[in-house]
Amino acid sequence: MSPHSFFRSTSFRLLAWYVAVFGASVAILLFIVYWITLAALDEQLSDSVEREAQVLVELYRGRGLDSVVRAIQLRVVELRPPRRYYLLQDAAGMRISGNLPPMKPTEGEMALPVSYLFPDRRSKPDDPADAYPVVAQGRRLDNGEFLLVGENRYRAVKAQEAILHALVWGIAITVLLAAGGGAVLGAGFLRRIEEVNRTTRSIMDGDLSQRVPTRGGGDEMDHLAINLNAMLDRIQVLMKSLKQVSDDIAHDLRTPLSRLRHGLEAARQKAGSDAEPVIEQSIAELDAILETFSALLRIAQIEAGARRAAFSDVSLGQIVSTVSEAYAPVAEDRSQRLETVIDRTLSVHGDRELLTQMVANLIENPIRHCPAGVGITVELRQEGGRPVLCVADTGPGIPASERDKVFRRFYRLEASRTTPGSGLGLALVKAVADLHGAAVELSDNHPGLRVTVRFHAASDGGARTYPARDAPGVTRDATPQRVDQVHWL
Amino acid sequence: MMKILLIEDDPQTSAYVANGLREQGHVVDHSTSGRDGLFLASGGGYDIMVIDRMLPSVDGLAIVKTIRAAGIKTPVLLLTTLGGVNDRVEGLEAGADDYLTKPFAFSELHARVNALARRPPMADEATVLRVGDLELNRLKRTVIRGGKRIELQPQEFRLLEYLMRNAGQVVTRTMLLENVWEFHFDPHTSVVETHISRLRAKVDREFGEELIHTVRGSGYSVRVST
Repeated sequence: MSPHSFFRSTSFRLLAWYVAVFGASVAILLFIVYWITLAALDEQLSDSVEREAQVLVELYRGRGLDSVVRAIQLRVVELRPPRRYYLLQDAAGMRISGNLPPMKPTEGEMALPVSYLFPDRRSKPDDPADAYPVVAQGRRLDNGEFLLVGENRYRAVKAQEAILHALVWGIAITVLLAAGGGAVLGAGFLRRIEEVNRTTRSIMDGDLSQRVPTRGGGDEMDHLAINLNAMLDRIQVLMKSLKQVSDDIAHDLRTPLSRLRHGLEAARQKAGSDAEPVIEQSIAELDAILETFSALLRIAQIEAGARRAAFSDVSLGQIVSTVSEAYAPVAEDRSQRLETVIDRTLSVHGDRELLTQMVANLIENPIRHCPAGVGITVELRQEGGRPVLCVADTGPGIPASERDKVFRRFYRLEASRTTPGSGLGLALVKAVADLHGAAVELSDNHPGLRVTVRFHAASDGGARTYPARDAPGVTRDATPQRVDQVHWL
Repeated sequence: MMKILLIEDDPQTSAYVANGLREQGHVVDHSTSGRDGLFLASGGGYDIMVIDRMLPSVDGLAIVKTIRAAGIKTPVLLLTTLGGVNDRVEGLEAGADDYLTKPFAFSELHARVNALARRPPMADEATVLRVGDLELNRLKRTVIRGGKRIELQPQEFRLLEYLMRNAGQVVTRTMLLENVWEFHFDPHTSVVETHISRLRAKVDREFGEELIHTVRGSGYSVRVST
């Protein structure tokens, strides 16, 4: 499996979803932890500042202003973060002690930005431990002094950083684990799907004996494999009985017809000249019956698909030019012009014999059904990397409403009922095209009919897709819109 | 005169084939079962074998495989009622030399039997084929009649080449379709007739004597008129 197809696979999509959902849930979880922790830390900070302010207020009340000044001096020299900030100013607004500039006394909790703490040093403190905003508590003292106690958010910010760190790593590890686990699970799943695909491909290529491997684990994949195998058994039985019926018809009906023909031939030799034309005529009629019969069996066998096993790369260019050369004098004798534009380098993966017959039927069709004087163009070219065969004529054409019907067995246009033929030519074209995964379309040539067959390139094996076909023996009603239907007898 | 082994279980077909071949002056040994047929075939000494594909006890394909494995190189014409697309390939892969689907005209069988009996090993095939004053050089891809060069289209050349390789023999329309054009089906238009008439116009018309003859009800034959 190529990397390109891996990205389009169900496994990859499942894996992507798995990773996305897992990553998102881990992210949400960590964000919740982040917010809760932050709120708790901020609350702790407020409490701590408030407690400190309360302690100093109590000290002031008990021991007087000097004790507070001493306590502040002692506390200010403390160096380890988180930093604490103090301010004690008298009623006139002059600083008595502390490490903050004097301010307008304000009671209660407040937040001081970094720029307020170091106004003259342009927001860049010397010590990085100072570079955090401060939560402070202001208290008015009994004699009009003002006390401010603050602590910076160092701890909260550090905790914030740690949590963010954890968040990033957590998500990264989750995504990795999810992707790894998903890939392992997906690869197993993909391998089993690929087994099913490989089996169905080789069955479509004509090897009906293939079966999807089972593991006996009884999981869903095993159930799928068992069901597929049961279906394949059924199809194989149907195909076998179809082949059996075809062979029986071939043998049981052709043998008496052969005898009839031998008898007529013997009679022709012995009969007088009066009877000879009648016997000739009978032999011709018999041959027509036998031919129709052969064509039907042939189409049935082609549709059964067993020929695919013998496919090889064949030069479509050579086939088309050989057949065109074979028919060019025939057309000329009927005063029709057969023109060819053939890219001889083109080849397809297929069956030489059947492709030859298909091309012959396509070219023979306008020769037989168009009047003298028409032009017939056979064109084989490359279009989007795929060989395209186009046979166009300037004859009467086929009305749009009838175009889908001409691929049916025995379907004959009103105008061609008088010309001899079995009405199986285009049915065979369709069968051969289907076998090769090629699309046949009929269009208006203005005037006339244009038949286009779009093939797969010879090397295009991997991407081969086969159009769905009706099960043999199933009768389906005509659906006028679709051309690519096969109608059973 | 050839010694021919016929293995065919259907009494009417075998009578038809055996009588026809005897009338043509050949000696025909006939066997109705696969086992007896295989026994006769293994004995050797036949110029050609005509074997039906579907036989009681041992089927035709198995007989061909067995005698080929035993080193018997006698040409084999396989008969079948199956008109299937795979059957011809299977028959040829088993070692048969030609394949004929029932029902067939006796003339078709006879022409094929003659062609098989005459089939030379590939290496011995002559470079220059001659019939009367007509000369075809297979290497130079030239055709000369009475000292005069005749220009042929590639398919006309292949047609004449096949006819001349079987000079003196009757070549049927089906044999031509299979060998010249690789058409293993019957076209609804006169492909063979048209090409033959073009070939005649070039090879015969200007030269009083006719070399390409129509054999009524059978096919064509290239030979000097007697």
